[in-house]
Amino acid sequence: MSTLRTRISTDTWAIVLSLALALIIRSGLLKTVPW
Amino acid sequence: MAASVNLPDLRTEYPPHASGRGPADRSTLLGLLPGIALLFIVGYAGKFVEHFLNIYTKAHHITFPNIEYVLWAILFGIVIANTVGVPRIFRAGVATYDLWLKVGIILLGARFILGDILKLGGISLILVFIAFAFSVTFMTWLGRTFHLGPQLTTLLAVGSSVCGVSAIIATQGAIDASEEDSSTAIAAILALGALSLFTFPLIGHALHMSDHAYGIWAGLAVDNTAEATAAGALYSDAAGKYAVLAKTCRNALIGFVVLGYAIQWARKGLASRAATEQLENKAAFLWKKFPKFVLGFLFISLLATIGSSTNPHIAALGFNKLQLTALGNLSRWAFLLTFAGVGLRTNLKDLFKQGARAFLVGAVGEVAIAAITLLLVLGADHFYHL
Repeated sequence: MSTLRTRISTDTWAIVLSLALALIIRSGLLKTVPW
Repeated sequence: MAASVNLPDLRTEYPPHASGRGPADRSTLLGLLPGIALLFIVGYAGKFVEHFLNIYTKAHHITFPNIEYVLWAILFGIVIANTVGVPRIFRAGVATYDLWLKVGIILLGARFILGDILKLGGISLILVFIAFAFSVTFMTWLGRTFHLGPQLTTLLAVGSSVCGVSAIIATQGAIDASEEDSSTAIAAILALGALSLFTFPLIGHALHMSDHAYGIWAGLAVDNTAEATAAGALYSDAAGKYAVLAKTCRNALIGFVVLGYAIQWARKGLASRAATEQLENKAAFLWKKFPKFVLGFLFISLLATIGSSTNPHIAALGFNKLQLTALGNLSRWAFLLTFAGVGLRTNLKDLFKQGARAFLVGAVGEVAIAAITLLLVLGADHFYHL
C-alpha cells in the first residue's frame, strides 16, 4: 500500500475540496443542492 | 489505496486532547468517516429541531422565538461532549470541523461579488486596525496590571485582537512562549468565545442592529473563526455571511501581527535563535503565516463576479445563478458540520481550568473590545450605511 508522506495543510485540503465541489457544480454533474 | 493515504494531521488542530482522550492514532480516510458522520447527525438534528419547532409552534399558535439550528447543533454537541463524551472512534473525524469551516468559507465566496468584498472588507479592515490598536494596548496594560508574564500577555493580546487560536499558535513559536501559556491563552479565548455565542445575539436584537452591522461586529469582536461564524449565523443567515467576511479580513492580517511581535521580541533579545532566524526572509515568514484558504474564497468570489457580468461571453466563464445557489447551499452544509464540531469539542471542565487571573484579564479585555468594536460598527453603520 502506497503512503503519501508529504503532510498537506488543512488550508490546502480545504481549497482542493472546495474547488472540486465547485467544478462538479460548474460542469453540471450536480445541478442543485437542497438546504 | 485511499484508506492508506495520510490525511492532514488533524491531531495538531486545537483542542489538544488530554491524555486518554486523544483521537484515533492515524487520520486515515476511513478513520475520519465515523466522526464526520457524527458531525452530520448532530448538525442535522439541530436543523431538524429548528424546523420541527417552527411548524409545531405555528400549528398550535404558540409564541416561541425562532432559534436557529446553529444554537441547537452547538448545544447538542456540548451535551454529548460533556456527558457521555465523544468516543475515541469519532474523535479524528470530529477534529475535521476546522476543515469544514474553511470549506464553508471558501464556498461562501459564491455569495459575494468582489465589489462587496472590497467595500465591506475595506471598512472592516479600517475597523480592524482601530480595534487592533486598542486591543493590544489595553490587553498589554491589563496583563501588566494583573502581573501576568509577558508571553502570556502577548498571547492574550494577539488572540483577542487578531484571530483567536490560530494567532496564538502562530505567535507562540515566534516569541518562544511555553505550551502552558499557550494553552491558558487558548482556553481563555475559547471560554469567552463560547460565552459570546449566547450574549452577542441578545445584544444585537436589543439594539435592533441590521444584519450587516451585527455580522461585521461579530466578525470583529469574536475571536475564534468558528465561534465568530456561529455567532453571526445565530442572528441570521445574512449576518453569518458578513461575520465571515469581517473575520476573514482579521485572519488575513495574522502574518503581519505575528511578524511585528517576532521582530519586537528579537530586538529585545528575548527570542530564541531559531525564532530569530525565521525573520531573515520576511516575505517567506508572511506567506507561511498567511491563511491560504482566503485565496480560495477570493477565487470563488471572482468566478461569481465574472458570472454576473452583463457580457454573455464573459459571464459564461463564471458561475450562473443556479450554480451560485448550489455553492451557497454547500457552504451552509459545511458550516452545519462546523457548528456541530464547535459543540462537540467544547469541554466545559477544560475551559474553566485555566488560571483565574488569565481568565479575568481575557474577560475584562474581551468585554472592552466588544464594546469598542460595537461603537465603531454602529458609527460606521451611521455614516456609511453598512
